[in-house]
Parts: sequence; structure tokens; C-alpha cells
Amino acid sequence: MSTKLFTLALISALIVGLVGPAVMAADMKIGFMPMTLSNQYFQTMVEGAKKRASQLGVELSVQAPKSHSSVGAQLRIIENMITRGVDALCIVPASSTGLMSGLQKAQNAGIPVVNIDTQFSQKSIEGAGLNPIPYIGTDNYDGAKKAGNKALELLGGEGKVAILTGVPGQQNTRDRKNGFMDAVEGKLEIVATQTANWEVEEGYNVTQNILQANPDLGLIFASNDGMALGALRALKEAGKQDEIELIGYDAIPAALESVKAGGIDADVAQFPAEMGKGGVTMAYQMASGESIAVNHHRNTPTKLITQDNVDAMINYLENYSG
Amino acid sequence: MTKELTEYLPNDLLEKYGIYIGFLAVFVFFCFMSPNFLSQRNVFNIIVQSSVIAIIAIGETIVISTGGIDLSVGSVVALVSVALGLMLISPLPIFLAVAFSILLGTAVGLVNGLIISYGNMPSFIVTLGMMSIAKGAALMLNGGQPVASLPMGFDKIATTDIFGVPIFVVYVIVAYSIMFIILNKHKLGRYIYAIGDNEGAARLSGINVKKIRTTSFVFGGLFAGIGAVMLTARLNYATPLSGSGFELDAIAAAVIGGTALSGGKGSIVGTVVGALLLGTLKNGLTLMNVSSFFQQVIIGTVIILAVFVDKLRSQ
Repeated sequence: MSTKLFTLALISALIVGLVGPAVMAADMKIGFMPMTLSNQYFQTMVEGAKKRASQLGVELSVQAPKSHSSVGAQLRIIENMITRGVDALCIVPASSTGLMSGLQKAQNAGIPVVNIDTQFSQKSIEGAGLNPIPYIGTDNYDGAKKAGNKALELLGGEGKVAILTGVPGQQNTRDRKNGFMDAVEGKLEIVATQTANWEVEEGYNVTQNILQANPDLGLIFASNDGMALGALRALKEAGKQDEIELIGYDAIPAALESVKAGGIDADVAQFPAEMGKGGVTMAYQMASGESIAVNHHRNTPTKLITQDNVDAMINYLENYSG
Repeated sequence: MTKELTEYLPNDLLEKYGIYIGFLAVFVFFCFMSPNFLSQRNVFNIIVQSSVIAIIAIGETIVISTGGIDLSVGSVVALVSVALGLMLISPLPIFLAVAFSILLGTAVGLVNGLIISYGNMPSFIVTLGMMSIAKGAALMLNGGQPVASLPMGFDKIATTDIFGVPIFVVYVIVAYSIMFIILNKHKLGRYIYAIGDNEGAARLSGINVKKIRTTSFVFGGLFAGIGAVMLTARLNYATPLSGSGFELDAIAAAVIGGTALSGGKGSIVGTVVGALLLGTLKNGLTLMNVSSFFQQVIIGTVIILAVFVDKLRSQ
């Protein structure tokens, strides 16, 4: 009996002791939901958001699913954020078309939403009869084109390339694939286009398989850095690191270290911290009743990073290491 | 009732109702920790958020009670979800698409059961294989792409209210009531526990073990199919990536609710409380703004503690 009561007490004590201090009060609460937190890219975004939130004196509540593709978990988080009484929501959706019921709930509750990084499909938003949602993020098509042009330069205009794509159904996945393909089309031969769902482990496995099938591969474009790091491991293991060029996307700290060390050859930098900051600012403005242009659409820049300019980027990112 | 209660010492009370007391403790804890927790709307939220797992966990509880395990239910959710999405935009009438979807889930369960029973194979291996097959099939059906813009009216399956009560709450109550009666009043229930308790003895006493075992997996597939329809309607969106990890949540709900992985012992009332406990933790911890990493640690701890308490009380 006492052991059992003790066990129950232990559960409670564990929860109270470790999380109790997290509860605090502020006038305005903004909910911030990245696709996941198990990716440095989103951690950097959250750091930017936190900085801006503390400047504005608002409470930021950050919640995210375990992996990059959990639409169901994101819907649950939106519902719980609404219950928690947030005044505005910043969302990086795990699907461009699949979170409409969550947006509907936020709209019904009168909570403004800012769309960050991965854009909601305008068609889906209109189809669901929702109000337009402002967006802040990278023009991924354009960023991927930079990667494609760099690929042409690295290969001298000819060779075989493979593309690692992200979670199917996300706008980013499409834009990055298409941007790269349009830049290299007719010049380079695309021998493989495989999804690795933005994950390191899958990037590793898929690259191993691609290398098996295409021993004369010239370049891999991994459309995010997680997958690029996985691909790099596979290249190293196969002893092909010097033969095969590798381009990543996002410029997360781990990938930049690799660019510096000569592992990843080039990387398209995004500026997630700016997205996090801009998102919180806009959420703050909307929750305070300022009107935002209905079709507000702001692109944060992209920049091609190579060994020449990697140090500056690393220094910049150090401002946002958690 | 009062007479029965007085017969119990507090000790027995805790033994018999450990999971319910644990659930209440967690619930009360959140009431104090988060001002937004205790409202009718949030309580409905918790039930709705737990309902897909609660439904899938019915089938899982039955399978585990026979001493088996069904690892394929999460992938079956993905498969049924995409199939349903494609049928809906084909466009099949909503009623037919839903009926075929549930049938598809049931059929996968039947295949599992037949291979396991008549091929004399371990359920762990067969359903592990089916997990991969169903996932692959889900991805193949629409080339890995999700199916969005489902027809108007389909999401009514999820968004309808009955006198202010979300319809998912009604589904859960109806499904559990029916299965409670079948498992407790019908001989099928006795056979299921008999097989899980001692398969040899069950066979000797004339129970058709193969048939009952197959039936248990049919239930596994049936409820995965129903869960898939609910999830798809809730999201109004069908994706082959849905359902991943659901098998583990369903197993956790059953085990927290007192179902023994060794078979022979299980209660679906415990299971629904198990599913609600998991849902309450995810909800309450989010309301308290606990980091999503730490939430996983807490939930894992609760699962281990629940089984630990269960082990104590069965000694």
C-alpha cells in the first residue's frame, strides 16, 4: 500500500519539481510551433523568436512534435495552445495542405496566425474558407536555384546528380526540388530523386543505396542539412568524399562546421532566426490589433555558403545558439 | 454498491482501482497546475485528442489478451487513410468510402490473423512484416503524396456536436460499450482470455483456438480502420505519414490499463483510462508549457510506473 502511494507521489513530485518553475505570467502569450525541435534549424528559429519575445516583453510558449511529419500532433498542439489562451500563434506546418482544421479552430477562437518557413497552400486556405494568413520565410525555389547553379559550377557543366528531397506534400519539398531541377535541367543528368523526410538517418541510408546504384555519381543535392549530414556519413564510409560533391540547404551550425572542414562543399543558408523574430513581431502586432496587409508575404534572404564565407556565417549564428 | 465498497479495505481499493486513482491523481494535479485545464471545453479536447488511440487500443487490448501483439495498426491507419482519401476524391459517396475503408482495415487484420493462426507464426514477426507492407502500400497508393481537398461534408464525421458533446466522445462511448458487452457477456470474451491464459488448456477444453486468435486480429484491423477514418476526418486530410507510432501508443494504453503482455488478463475499461491518461498528460503538460522533449520523458516514466504498480498489485 505505502509503496503504491509512494509511487503516485513520486509521479507528482517528479512533475512538480522539474516543471513547476516554467509557469509564469505575462500580459501577452504567443504560441510558437515549429515543425519539430529535433533539428538545429528550428532550434535557431526558436532562439530568434525567444530573443524578440523578451524584447517585446511577451511570454513565448514553444511546443513541437517529435519528427518532421506529425500533422496530427501539430493539430493537438494548436488545440492545446488555444486552450492555454495564447493571443497569437506562429506555425511552421508539417503539411502545407493538412492543417486546415487547426487553422479553422484558431480562426474560430479569434487567434491570429502567422505562417513561418513552410508555406500553407493558398488553394487549401481558400478552399477551407479561411482568412488569408501572412507568411514569412525563404523563397525556397530561388534558394534551390542557387544550389543548382553552384552544382553546374562544381561539375563544370556535366555529370550525374542525385537529389534528396524532404517530406512529401510540403511546399518546401516541392520548391527546393523544382528550383534545383530547373537550374540544372538539360545540363546535368538527374539519376535519382529520393525522399529522406528531412531526417539525418534516412539521408544516410538513402545515400548508401544511391551510391550502390550509381557508382559514377558526381554530386548530391541534399535539400536540407540533416539529410546532407547523413549523406556525408555515407560518402565518407564509401571513401567517395573527394569524388562526389555535396550541397546542403539551411546552414545549420553542424553543417557549417562541415563546410569549414571541407566535408560539405556548399550550403544554401536560410535565416531561420530572422523568421522567428519576424514571426513573433508580426504575431505581436496582430494580437495588439494592428492591421497587417492581408496577403502579407515577406521573404527572408538566402545566401550561398562555401569555405570562403563560412566563418562569417558561423559568427552570425553564434548569436542564436541556445 | 455500498455493501461492496465496505467490504474493501483501502488496500484492496487501491489494488483494484490503481489505474483510476492514478488517473485521478494526474487529473487533479493538472487542475492545480494550469488555470486553463479544468473547463468543459478542455476536458472534451482531451477526450477527442485521445479518441483515435482509444479506439485503436480496443483491438490491441483484445489481441494482447490472447497473448499476441499487433504492431501493424499504425501502418494500417496510414494505408486506410490514403485509400479513404483517394476513394473520397474518386468520387465515391462518403458513406461507401467510409464503409470500404473500415472493411480494408478489417481485411488486413484478417490476413494477419490467418497467417498467424494457420501458419503457426509468431504475431510479433507477422505484424512487424505487415507494418512495413501496409506502410509501403500507403506510400505507393498516391506516390507518397497526401490527399487534400477532401469533399465537403466529410469532416462532419469529426466536427459534429451532439447537444454540445463532440461526436468523437460518442464514438468512444459506443465502441467501448459494445465491446464491453461482447467481452464480458459473450463467450467470445471468455475464450479470448482463456487462450491468453493457457492456450493448451483452452484447446483441450474444446475452444477453436485458431478461429478465436484470427478473430482477435480481425478486431485489431477493424478498430485500426475505424481509427483511420476518425483521424482522416479530424485532419480533413489523408497522408501516408499518419499513424506512425500509433501501435506503441495503443500498446501503452492497454498496458497502462492493466492488460498483461503475457496474455490472459485485460480490461477494456482500463484501456480507455490508459488512453485518456496518455492524452491528459500530453494536454496538461502542453498547457503548463513543459518542453516537448521533457514531456516524452514524463510519459515514458508514467508507463513504466503504471506497469510497476500493476506488478505489485498482482503479487
